[in-house]
Amino acid sequence: MIAAGSREISDGQAVFAGLGIPQLAVALAQRTHAPHVVVLNEAGVVDPHLIELGVGNADPRHWYGASYFGTFLDVVGMLCQRGVVDVGFLGALEVDAYGNNNSSEVLRDDGGIRRFGGGGGANDIASHAKSTILIVRHERRKLVERLVHNTSPGFLDGGDARARLGLPGGGPSRVLTDKAVFGFDDVTHHIKLLSIHPGVSDEELQAATGFALDIPSGCPRTPPPTDEEVRLVREELDPRRMYVGAF
Amino acid sequence: MTENQAVERSKLTSLAEAAAIVRDEDNLAVGGFACARNAVAFSRELIRQGRRDLTLSGVVLGMEADLLVGAGAVKRLIYGGGSLDRYGPIQCINRAYEQGKIVAEYYSSLAVNFRYLAGALGIPYMPIKSMLGSDLLTRLEQDTAADVVKEGECPFTSEHLVLVRALVPDVTVLQVQMADELGNAQILGPRWDNDEAAKAARQVIVITEELVSTDIIRRQPELTVLPGFRVDAVVHLPFGAHPTSLYRCYDHDADHLKLYVGKARTEAGLEEYLDEYVREPRDHFEYLDRVGGLAHLSTLKADPVLGY
Repeated sequence: MIAAGSREISDGQAVFAGLGIPQLAVALAQRTHAPHVVVLNEAGVVDPHLIELGVGNADPRHWYGASYFGTFLDVVGMLCQRGVVDVGFLGALEVDAYGNNNSSEVLRDDGGIRRFGGGGGANDIASHAKSTILIVRHERRKLVERLVHNTSPGFLDGGDARARLGLPGGGPSRVLTDKAVFGFDDVTHHIKLLSIHPGVSDEELQAATGFALDIPSGCPRTPPPTDEEVRLVREELDPRRMYVGAF
Repeated sequence: MTENQAVERSKLTSLAEAAAIVRDEDNLAVGGFACARNAVAFSRELIRQGRRDLTLSGVVLGMEADLLVGAGAVKRLIYGGGSLDRYGPIQCINRAYEQGKIVAEYYSSLAVNFRYLAGALGIPYMPIKSMLGSDLLTRLEQDTAADVVKEGECPFTSEHLVLVRALVPDVTVLQVQMADELGNAQILGPRWDNDEAAKAARQVIVITEELVSTDIIRRQPELTVLPGFRVDAVVHLPFGAHPTSLYRCYDHDADHLKLYVGKARTEAGLEEYLDEYVREPRDHFEYLDRVGGLAHLSTLKADPVLGY
């Protein structure tokens, strides 16, 4: 998943990366094909070059080697809302078939609300970044027909709904899970299966998905990570396994 | 300015006196961000003084806010999110939210920041496109903030917009690295929502790690986030942000944060925590002794090159 995320990042892009897998994916891209990616941190940090992983955006380990310190307003307002951020790489609790997603709360088995910390700048990034990549664990209760809370809009109910409402950003371009890679249809903006990870069967994929999937026969397999990508992640980017394996 | 005038206008005060500026039912903006630069000592003092019914705001809340909510000091939240980073969620806030014990005005973080910005600029509202098409907007308009959030049209371009009203905190509390006794406050590192939250406020309280002379402030005035005359109280307090980090001064205290997250998992556990670390210590220095004293705190001191 880290390698698949890394491959979605192009050199020179300005990128928001959420904690954990997204951050590792961007770091891997920087160490391989995209050395000039500019990382943004909503605390007010631009272009850090960390030498060890920290516990979050607020950890000064994630500010090390930055070329710019400013404010939330600078980074989320005057860069992201201004329209110059290429990719928002965000984790989600739930994603629907139009890339709308939830980072706020889910339902407990007894029907009560289980509240998470809140989306922070996730809605701002999803509204304004040129594209967003969503990352979600592939389970039936996470890839859902109907969200418990639409924290960050994707393509709303599809077609040109997003553009009509006037949301400036381009919306989601990819959904990455531990079973597959998805894109979106150019016209209907419905989610579209692009590749299935090695070892995952069609039946297993559909069973783990809360909405009907169109699985084309001979659907491509996601290329596995290269030996070098595995080595970089395990030995250099996350040697203490803070994030790898936690997903 | 002569030295005499500086002395006359000193805003230096004790933690207890500064906390007394905040009254029950006040609208208090807190300046921390997850595990960084929270004015946790100030929260502990507000709890010791039994403050009630506060409205608390911030773009990304952290331990200072979680503690106040856990102690029952808060009736309303204005926020975009919050966490204790990898150590865990803001469990007291989440529990109060789940149980309906607080009213939570839950925005995108930029929308909260825009509310401060409007307050800081002295204008009634700011337009924003964030939150369009989301449940954030639906809930704010229909439930928690109908008098604060409305949709409208740009008079020039006819674009559809969300309008968020100015937020003017009664008090903003800032944890900083350096300040003089006039209130000139300097922050090292990123400043998240602090500039706008402080500039919007009616009163500002500064908790500073280092108290420096105005001459030192004048050597690097570009670091000053708020002119001294906008500040009402300055408290000189070492390790005031503990167990959160203060960039270039000390790292977050991983062991203590784990302890807090473990305790805050249940209401009973939180009460134990509040007794041991908030209510029983006579003052901030006794708190510092209880968390390990100088021997432990010395291990958190920042490396001057790394800043953490």
